[in-house]
Amino acid sequence: MRKERDRLSVEWVKLELLRTAYATRGGLLSRRDPRVVIGWYGIFAVVPWLTHNITVLAGLFAVCAVFVVLSRVGPLVLGLFVIGFVLESVYVLIAAWMFGGDLGTVLALVELTLKLATVSLASMAAFVSLDPEKLSDALLSLHAPAMVSFGVSYGYRMLPILMEEFHTVIDGHRLRAAPLPSKGLLGWRVVARTATTVVAAFYPLMLNTAKRTRTTVEALETRGFTFAAEHTDGRRIRLAHLRATWEDGLLIAVSLLLVAAAFAAGHSYPLYGAVQ
Amino acid sequence: MSTSTPPSRNLGTRRPPELSSGQKLMVFVLSMTLFGLANIVTEVLPEISIGPVELSVSYLAFVPVVMVALFNPLYAALGAPLGEIVFVDLLMGDFSGIGELEGYLQMFLGLYIGGCLVRDPRRRPQLLLAALTTVTVDKMLSAVVDIGKVWVGVDDAEYVEGLPQSILLLEGIGFTTDLLISGLLFGALPAMALAPRLYGRIEPLLGLAPRDPRHPVPLAQRGTAAFALLAIVLSFVSMIAAFTSEIVDNFGVWEPGFVDEYGQRFLWIGVSAALIVLVASVAATRFVLRSRRERTAQDAGADTEAAEKAPEGSDPR
Repeated sequence: MRKERDRLSVEWVKLELLRTAYATRGGLLSRRDPRVVIGWYGIFAVVPWLTHNITVLAGLFAVCAVFVVLSRVGPLVLGLFVIGFVLESVYVLIAAWMFGGDLGTVLALVELTLKLATVSLASMAAFVSLDPEKLSDALLSLHAPAMVSFGVSYGYRMLPILMEEFHTVIDGHRLRAAPLPSKGLLGWRVVARTATTVVAAFYPLMLNTAKRTRTTVEALETRGFTFAAEHTDGRRIRLAHLRATWEDGLLIAVSLLLVAAAFAAGHSYPLYGAVQ
Repeated sequence: MSTSTPPSRNLGTRRPPELSSGQKLMVFVLSMTLFGLANIVTEVLPEISIGPVELSVSYLAFVPVVMVALFNPLYAALGAPLGEIVFVDLLMGDFSGIGELEGYLQMFLGLYIGGCLVRDPRRRPQLLLAALTTVTVDKMLSAVVDIGKVWVGVDDAEYVEGLPQSILLLEGIGFTTDLLISGLLFGALPAMALAPRLYGRIEPLLGLAPRDPRHPVPLAQRGTAAFALLAIVLSFVSMIAAFTSEIVDNFGVWEPGFVDEYGQRFLWIGVSAALIVLVASVAATRFVLRSRRERTAQDAGADTEAAEKAPEGSDPR
């Protein structure tokens, strides 16, 4: 029981999350202009849905895989992605077999899996490379609502504080609670205790966060936050550091070339899934 | 729900007070932060998978439900799904781009409708209804999107043996467990316990007045939510209908030509996307126009309204 708690403690998760969130690895896409990275992602998020040709899809998948490697996506994120995808496909496969599927079903699933996997790989490459601060600037420059870009940078800064506070509240609950008399059948008492503690911890958290939010927002408003975010001059000053260079253009050009190459290969060696 | 509406209902006199831009931002940020944190906690909670049936908590629905029940539902509902995106998906590198957009819209709609259903946060049946509605709308739309993805992603899904049935089965199972676990256990029950306790305590911390059952969120706003929901459901249905009709029409005429292959399909994707955008923009314009009109009406009639109200004697303050 003691060991179980150590492995799944709030502290462990907190450290794990912060490591993933704040460790920057510096890959190919992270040095590019954030708006260009979003555009790059847009290409690979849309193109896979426009074809049913498995050869093309395999080509796109390969391109995205190369970008994932070049962007230095961490092993944790990549591992979670692979496990999730394999399990998902296996479930659908089993279910399809139950309803009497055959080789056509398998090929159709390969097609779908390739599409979803390509889009996921592209988003991993793009959004692991963009730290939230850059993303919030890019969103603002693409005329997203000011609240959204504010939310992104606020969340980035508040996360460690909030995790700390949640941990403290949970610890307080644990210190004051009597130990469970028994675990119950299949440990249901432990599950119920955990669930109620998590819910109860939100009561003080909601009140504390409300106070903190008011302080933040009033400080911001004193300095004219809402107005500055909407006014053209404010936007211009804030976004002055964003510059797209010829290297950014090269990235887009090369990506488009690779997509075209995948389609050319698919045209020469077509392989279709669903219907023979 | 028990209060009877007066026959001559003037929208201007029954509105909850307008929020200032700072207060809007407060509600937005609070709801965003708390739901973001709740989502990080969700990541810790263990999952039990029995084959494809996953007994896991997909989110702690009670947090945003309490927010939309206590505060202005529009800004609370706008903030909460952003919290999930920022805190969990972005910071953990699990961001799925366009997929997040659909998730945001689903969650927003669910929460907004749920929040408009609540008149008095102290009444538990209303909170139950709000939480269940939120999760139902969110999960129903996401199931529709998932099914739509398979339909678009797989050519002639109809004629692939077993695939449509198995997707429907998996989605159905997922929906049921989500409704029970996220909607009831971690949605309605904690919300019913927390919202009445927080009512009247958390609002002053933000400098807001507690939600007054005598001045509910106006029907105009509820009407917009229902309209928006209907529009989105219809556009999804029309999109799927478009794809099916295309599949049925083209069945048997299978030519893997470059142009043929894209021409038709691309057209339908474009048409359905345009339709969704059109419907959404009509809804948004209607909403903005109406709220603007009401605001000016309220500003203009603020003095006369106060004068009208005094002799009425219905206000105990």
